[in-house]
This record gives sequence, structure tokens and C-alpha cells, in this order.
Amino acid sequence: MKLRANLRAWVLVLAVMHAVVACAGFFAPYDPGEQDREHPYAPPSAIHFRDGYGSLHIRPFVYPLQPVAGFSDRYREERAAPAPIRFFVTGQGYRLLGLLPCRLHLFAADGARVALLGTDGYGRDQFSRLLWGGQISLFAGLMATALALTFGLFVGATAGYWGGWTDEILMRIAELFLALPWLYLLFAIRAFLPLTVSPLGAFFLVTGVIGLVGWARPARLVRGVVLSARERDYVRAARGFGASHAYILRRHILPQTASVLLTQAAILAPQYVLAEVILSFLGLGVPEPAPSWGNLLATIQQYNVLTSYWWMMLPVLVLTPFFLGYLGLASALQGWADPSKMEAVGPGSRW
Amino acid sequence: MTRYLVRRTLHAVLLLAGVSLLTFLFTALVPGNYFDEMKMNPQISPETVAALRAKYGVDQPLAFRYVHWVGGLLHGDLGFSFAYNTPVGPLLRVRAANTLLLTSVAMLLAWGVALPLGIWSAGRENGWPDHLITLATGALLIVPDLVLALGLLLVAVRSGWLPAGGMAAVGAEPTTWAALGRDYALHLLLPVTALVLSCAPMLVRHVRAAMLDVLDSSFLRAARGHGIPPRRLLYGYALRAAANPLLALFGFSIGTLLSGSLIIEVVMSWPGLGPFLLEAILGRDLYVVIGGVLLSTAFLVAGNLVADVLLYWADPRIRAERGNG
Amino acid sequence: MISGADRAMEPLLTVESLVKRYTPRGFGGGRGGVTALDGVSFSIAEGSTLAIAGASGSGKSTLALCLACLERPASGQIRLAGRELTTLTETQLRAVRPQMQLVFQDPSSSLNPRLTAFEIVTEPFAAQSRFSASERAARARALFERAGLSFQSATRTAAEFSGGQRQRLAIARALALEPRVLILDEALSGLDASVQAQVANLLLDLQEASRLTFVFITHDLAMASRMADRIAVLDRGRIAETGPMDEVLRQPAHASTRALIAATPQWKAELRQQADT
Repeated sequence: MKLRANLRAWVLVLAVMHAVVACAGFFAPYDPGEQDREHPYAPPSAIHFRDGYGSLHIRPFVYPLQPVAGFSDRYREERAAPAPIRFFVTGQGYRLLGLLPCRLHLFAADGARVALLGTDGYGRDQFSRLLWGGQISLFAGLMATALALTFGLFVGATAGYWGGWTDEILMRIAELFLALPWLYLLFAIRAFLPLTVSPLGAFFLVTGVIGLVGWARPARLVRGVVLSARERDYVRAARGFGASHAYILRRHILPQTASVLLTQAAILAPQYVLAEVILSFLGLGVPEPAPSWGNLLATIQQYNVLTSYWWMMLPVLVLTPFFLGYLGLASALQGWADPSKMEAVGPGSRW
Repeated sequence: MTRYLVRRTLHAVLLLAGVSLLTFLFTALVPGNYFDEMKMNPQISPETVAALRAKYGVDQPLAFRYVHWVGGLLHGDLGFSFAYNTPVGPLLRVRAANTLLLTSVAMLLAWGVALPLGIWSAGRENGWPDHLITLATGALLIVPDLVLALGLLLVAVRSGWLPAGGMAAVGAEPTTWAALGRDYALHLLLPVTALVLSCAPMLVRHVRAAMLDVLDSSFLRAARGHGIPPRRLLYGYALRAAANPLLALFGFSIGTLLSGSLIIEVVMSWPGLGPFLLEAILGRDLYVVIGGVLLSTAFLVAGNLVADVLLYWADPRIRAERGNG
Repeated sequence: MISGADRAMEPLLTVESLVKRYTPRGFGGGRGGVTALDGVSFSIAEGSTLAIAGASGSGKSTLALCLACLERPASGQIRLAGRELTTLTETQLRAVRPQMQLVFQDPSSSLNPRLTAFEIVTEPFAAQSRFSASERAARARALFERAGLSFQSATRTAAEFSGGQRQRLAIARALALEPRVLILDEALSGLDASVQAQVANLLLDLQEASRLTFVFITHDLAMASRMADRIAVLDRGRIAETGPMDEVLRQPAHASTRALIAATPQWKAELRQQADT
């Protein structure tokens, strides 16, 4: 039962993280495309509780930034006009979960821009872009996972159930896909598809390509499960009743693949999110102006950005808690399905 | 032994053939488009395009093109790079060498660190060293190598201690061997650290697991009962017994020498196969991409083969099972 | 037990020269391979029981699978009520299958542990897409009763039943489609001694009530002698000898029969007595 509690804990953690990203509009103070040309590359806003006179305030506040004369990216705080941070404010409209029009934001500063992670070259709030970008990166990763698992399930079940030549051929093809270094294959496939696509097109492209590359390992695992399930006496008995193949698969065999599919989902999802991030980082994924964790980091590749604007690298840290959550979930799932295998899972089979 | 080797090599060759077919099929997905794009590229003269079209038989049936391409492959002709206007082979060779320099150093270091740590950790199971190592590896495992690479880069840039990229100092040419070596070493430090930090944790865990498996076995308990000192037990007996899965792992490590460092190379601007491939993709340099993919796959397959052979050689049980093949 | 001496009628089940081979699959295969059944022939009259006895490896399980048309023999014939089965297509077989059902040795593997008892017993109906939900429930209730199980336990999963109860469940399931022949593949062998007797009696009662024909496959001659009036001894894929139970046991003609007799614990003593006198 400790395993169950473990499992529930990780699911909860992941659910919360995903919920925050899903409700990006609420948690983000600004629209991700909203530019502020007057304040490019502004460092993260300093949150103050103590004002210039030394007195303590309960409500945190920020100072508006004044560009320093002669520099395009240096600022000083204008101490004269503190801007209090208010919570649950009405601001710019957005669509919650893509459906409900809403205007409520968790926080905003009254009279200044509060950029928790600084701004980029166009003055866009990195924090807002991080939240909104998460929707794209996470969704792409999850959809790619679903794609790879569906395809893998189909192939693996077919190979395992029908055996014979079908099995041989399908597994040889799977072996081919597994022999290729994953990331290289991803790049290669991406290379042969049109490079400049709309953000929506790119999203589907990236998802499709990642899913296409990753079906082989789930297929092999599913095949194993189906092979052993097929040999059971209750499957024989069902055949003895004249049950059709479809019935046997649906009733007896496919339910057994559930646990291996779930575990694979937990292992693959973070890898695929990372794949999207890498692709976008290198310019092969979702292009501007649509935000994604990858293209959020892309500017780092410019030397001057790297040296002068360290906060531009902060978005990369968001990957770690998600990885932690998914790997914890995968570990718990593995322990739940097979208590003897309590070994921690790592992204070791990346390539 | 030789029969096994032959069989596995044949299997590897077939695998590579299959991979080449697969890769070629991918390229065939965009046949005409590619060359049309090339025609629009002002850098490439129409004569070159026409010559290439003829050479690669773009208008020929698919099977013919594949056979033609494989034929060229067997002669060492990996195709032609449009961006560099030279054959692909030598280009790849240089870049692959750079990558190999990086990854071999990293691999040796990673194993050099992981083996003792893993063994030590297993030897003191549930002691404080073990817990510490498990915690550390766990923490590192969670961090994707992109994050590691960027983090290290940031440290380098902010501190100014280490060069932030490239393989050698640009401009000033070091004169003595010592200076050259030092220059290389400085440039290697960062990417090697990133690679080691991303590979070693998994290795440590595997070593530890393999050792624990063996330490649990009855023959080792008997040896302990005989009064053999613990260190000799650990390194002499247990390690040898645990060698099998570790040898296989070593083989796989060799396999990833060309493909495992892509992100780190790109982030740290190490002029290896990774960034070259990326550049080719962005520049639509078709044959460089195929060549790069094939080369790294060949390494992966070869690595698996080495792992298989090492396993076979080391484990007399497998040999007996196969009837001394 | 109904006497099988009613030879005026055509036997219900006839097996002729059944041959079944297993060859290893894949590249480099073809060497090796096992002939599990090498020309097996016998016949059973309706309402009677034929025991097929053999040591492990004699081909018993293969015979059971072939009879239930779950494996196709390499050659030979299986005739049920005059109809030849080995040449039927799968679709044609579907109509015939209800007439001959198999009860396996180990109820833990012949019942899907995740399904409830109700689902298990009504599975044949689902597989053949017969009867409405209410009719299935009514039939399930009747089946539970016949098998000596409480219908209250119908909602429990198979894993929650004891070994003997599970085998009853397997029997109930086998009876669902109202078969004429039950193939019992070591159906009692996996049960505790006390439970064995109960289930054996259940089977005999069922046979009498519904005029069922049993093929009782076992390695235990004591059990065989309780359940059947005729016996065929299987030795390495061939029928070594056939005949009425008491005749064969009293005067075993074949070495394998003698070996089986010797392996039966309660008779060992008798044999020793016989040898001494």
C-alpha cells in the first residue's frame, strides 16, 4: 500500500504542475507576445518589502525601470514611484484552457512591469512566455508519447498475437529503428521535411516526427506481454468457445498491456518533451513568435546574450521539476507493477 | 568463437544495410523538391545541379537509385556536400575525429569515476557513502544534459576561467606541444565535464546494481566465510563475477561515442559531428545528413557487436550453451 | 457409469490415426522436432467415459488440444457425431465448438484472475454472441447451481476462490454451451485429495443427469478406474492398449500399462501382495 501512496503522491505533483501550465493565462501576468520595446533585456524584477524610508510593507512592490542614458540594456529603479503588486487582478483577456474567455490574473504590478524572470530582446516577459511556452512543449511531448504508444501498441500486439512471419518482419523493422541513434534519426527526419512552417504546422510536424521515431521500444515490450498472454489457458479456453480474435484481444490480452504502456508513458513523456525543446532550441521546432521552452532558450546561442543577460538561461530550470515528477512516477509505476523491480529509472536510454 | 563472431557480424551488416535502406527511403520522400530548392540557390550553378541530378539519377526509379547509392557507398563515396562543394567523406572524417576526441576522453573519465564509486557504494550498502552516492546520482539523473551543458556554460562565462566554446584558441597559434596540449585541455574541460556528469550517474547505478547482485550470491558468501579480506573480495572476486553485464554496458558505451554528445557539442560549440549535422540540416545538405546518420549508426551497431562479443568471450556459460561455436 | 457396451449405435466420438508434430520455427530450424502423436485411434460411445492414461510426455495434453480443435493435427481424423472436424474452417468450427469443451488441469491459469465468476461463466455466451443479458444471468445461475457453487459468489473475482471452487467454476463454464463431450485434461490432478473426490462425484452426477460423454485424460490410474469404464493407454504418442477398465488393469498387456499400475500408490501394496502369493 505504500506503493499506492507513492504513486498517488507523484500523480498529484505532476497534476499540479501541469495544471499551472494549463492555466497559463491565469498565472502569467502578461500576454506572451506583448512587447515592450522600451525595456529590452531587463533583469528579473527585484521584489521589495522594505521601501526607501526603511519601513516594512506587507504588500510586496517593485519599482518601475528607467533606462540608463546611453545604454540600451541598463536600467535603474525609479525609487520615487513604487508599484504595489496586487493579486487576483483583472487584466488582459485570454482563453482559459483555450476555451473560456477570462480576464483574471494571479498577480500584476500597479504601474510597472513585474518581470519575474526578466525580459527578452523585445521586452517580452520571460515568465509569461515560460508558462505559455510550457503549454506547447508539454502538449507536444504528451501527444508524441500518445502517438508512439498507440503505434507501438498496434505493431506489438499484431506481432505478438499473430506470430510467425508477421512477427519476424515487424520485429526486424523495430530493430532497425532501435539501431539508429534516436536524436540523429529525429534530426534527419526533420531535415527532410519543410523547414519553414507555421507554428501550428510545426507543432504537428514535431509531434509526428518524435512519435514516428519512438514506436519501436514500446512495440517490443507490448509484443512480449501479448506473447505470454496468448499462451495462457484461459485464452485457449476462449478459443474453445469459438471466440473471435477481436474478442480475445479485447477481453484478455490488451488489458494486460495497460501496465507496460503506463510505465512507458511515464518514461517517454519527459524524453519527448526534451526532444521538442531541443528541436525548438536549434530552430527545427516551433518557430517564433509562438513561445516554446526550446525557442525561449534559443537566444542563448548568441554570445552576447550568454555573457550579458544571464537570466535568459533561467527557463531551462523548469525542465528539472518536470523530469523529476515523471521519473518519480515511472519509478512508482514500475514498483507497483512489479514490486521486485524497484530500481530507479533514468533517462539513460536517451540515444 | 569464430562462428559466433561471424554470425553476429553478419547480423550487424544486415542491420546496417536495413538502416541504409531506411535512411534512403526517408530521403526519397522529398526527391524533386530538394533539387528544385537547390536550383533556386544562387551559390550552386545550374550545371552543377544538372550534373548532380544526372549523377544521382533523380529521375530514375527508386530501386535503381538505391542500388546506385549503395554501390557508391561501398567505394567509400558518401555523396557530395552542396554547402562545402566537396565530397562528404573527408568532411565527416574530420568532424567525427573531433567528436571522438571529446567522447573518448569523457568515456574513459566516466568509467574511471563510475567503477570505483559504484563498487565502493555497493561495498558499503546502506552506509552513508551509499546513500550519498545514490542521492547524488539521482539528482544528476534528473537533470537533462541540455540543462547541464547550459549551466556549465554559464559558469564558464561568468567566471571567465574557461573558454566558452570551440576546440582551440582562435587567432594566436600555440607553438610548443605543451602549449597546444594545454590549449586543447582547457577547451576540452567544459564539454568533457558536461558529458561525464550526464553519463556517469547511470553508470554508477549500473555498476552498483551489478555488484550488489553478485555480493548477494552464495559463492561470495562462502568466500567471505573463508576469511578472505573484504577488499580482495570486492575487487578480486565480486568484480570479476559482475563483469558480464558491465562488459555489455562498456560495449554500448563505445556504441554511443559518436551519437551521445550532440547537444553538448552544439551548446559548447565543439566542432564535432553534431553541430556539423545540424548545419547540414539547416542548409539542406542532403548527403551530409545521410552520411552523418549512417556513420553514427554504424558506430552504434559496432558497439553492440563489441558488447555481444565481449559478453560471449567472458561468459563461459554462453559458450557452453551454444556448443563451443 | 453407463456401460459402454451399447455398440449397436455409432460411437459419438471417433479418432483415427491422429498425427501431430511440433517443429521449431525460425531460421536454422528444421532440425529436431517432436512427434507428439503418432497415429492415435480410439472411439467413445455417447454417455460413456474413456480414460486415456499415460505418463508425462506421452502426448496427453497434445491429444486434449487436438480433440478440442485448438491444434490442427498433421494428419488423421476426428469425427464427432459423424462429422469430420479436422478439415473444417475456423468459421465452420465455430458452430461445432460448443459440442466439445475442454476443462484444463490448472484452474488458476485456465481462468482469467481479473474477471469475476459471473463473467467467466458467461464468457462462452459472449464469445458466441448468444442470449440477452437477462437470459445469460438466468443461465449463469443455473450453471452455478449445477456446479455446486453459490450464486452469491458470482461477483467475486476468480482469484478469490479456492482451488476446488475454481475447478467447479471451470466446469460450469465448460457446460455453458451445453456440450455433448467434455475433455477433462488432468482436471482432477491439481486438486487436494479431499476436494478431488467431491469434484469427481460432481462430474459423475453431471454425466448421469445430462448424458455427457467424457474423455478423461490422466496419469493416475486410481482416478481413472473410478471415472471410466474403458481405458486407452498412451505411450509416447501411440495407443499401447485399449479395453474395458477392469480387464486392462487385471491383465496389462503392455509394459507402459504395467509401469502406470506400479506407479499408483494404493495398488503397489496390492501388487506386492500378489507377487508374494
